[in-house]
Amino acid sequence: MLKNAFLTLLALAIAIGGGGGSVWYALKTQDGIGAIRIGQWTAFPDIGTQAADPYSKARVAREGVLALGQAEGLSFVAERDSGGELLKRQCAYEIEGGFPTARFWTLYAADQSLGVVETGKPRPAALQSYQVLRQPDNSVVISVGNRPAPGNWLFSDGVGRMYFVLTFYDTPIASSTGLSDVTLPQIAKVGCNA
Amino acid sequence: MRKLLHAILLGLLGAGIVHVVVLLLVPGFSERDAWSRLAMASDLYRMTRLDAEAGGAPVVKSVDPLFYAAACRFDLSEGMVRVKAPGNVPFWSASVYDRGGHNIYSFNDHTATGKVLDTIVLTPAQMIEIRKDLPEELQGAIFVEAPIDEGMFVVRSFVPDDSWKPVVSRFLEQSSCELQDY
Repeated sequence: MLKNAFLTLLALAIAIGGGGGSVWYALKTQDGIGAIRIGQWTAFPDIGTQAADPYSKARVAREGVLALGQAEGLSFVAERDSGGELLKRQCAYEIEGGFPTARFWTLYAADQSLGVVETGKPRPAALQSYQVLRQPDNSVVISVGNRPAPGNWLFSDGVGRMYFVLTFYDTPIASSTGLSDVTLPQIAKVGCNA
Repeated sequence: MRKLLHAILLGLLGAGIVHVVVLLLVPGFSERDAWSRLAMASDLYRMTRLDAEAGGAPVVKSVDPLFYAAACRFDLSEGMVRVKAPGNVPFWSASVYDRGGHNIYSFNDHTATGKVLDTIVLTPAQMIEIRKDLPEELQGAIFVEAPIDEGMFVVRSFVPDDSWKPVVSRFLEQSSCELQDY
């Protein structure tokens, strides 16, 4: 009798714990269903629309996100550098490459909650396309780190994990057909302040 | 031993069912969604700043740091809603969301006449009604048909650098979100 009760309890614990835990885990990971990956950059073009999958819908509801509409823009998030290692706030990076067509774009260094990194200085950890210097071939090189750098410098500071959020505004790539042949810049690690 | 294995298998099967059920229930029961957060911050038909710049924590998460945003909640069953914002800013975009935070319609300043934000959100039934006799002052407005009752209207505006902050702030603070009688 007691053994039966124990087995029932075990089955219930696995069902509720496993079911709930797996949902929590699925919503927490950046990579998910409905994601489009270009190099190290991930986007969810369907997020916040009626056509989104149940995971995206749950994520929207749980985090209170108001996703950008298609006529507004599309956000890409990177959590690893081109070498496949997680981005860290104590490291310096170089973001280099061409950017797809858009009216303008913004790039910022983010913390775990995808809010902008608090630098504690007047300079925000964000750049936008009207203020960057370009190479002769129209590509852009951006140095990321806590030391000022010549050219384009994205200031980031502190320790812990970091994400880059790159958002294109008023862009044709937001319609999903435009996403097939888009290339995004590479993220190379320069060095770390261990 | 076989009984234990049986219980574990049953548990895993149950976990699958619980996974699906919880996933589908999350949107309906979430008290942290955008609508609830906005409801805590302000009333219906009140434009509320979403970014942290206006003081206090940001109301809705993940707003671009180079953007300011404002939102209002509306209820189309009470009548159509008109959103206006004066002034000239480098870029603005607007979105209509339903109660659950799904983006129904979005547009930006290139869509609007003379880059001025003047929009009416209404249901298809109200649209038929208003088409019969379009009032003079609504001629230049963008009409957004949304088959919803409760919803949210969000205006986002680009702040290229610090010098634009007062201008963009004023743009959002002078924006209005009014129930339109017709």
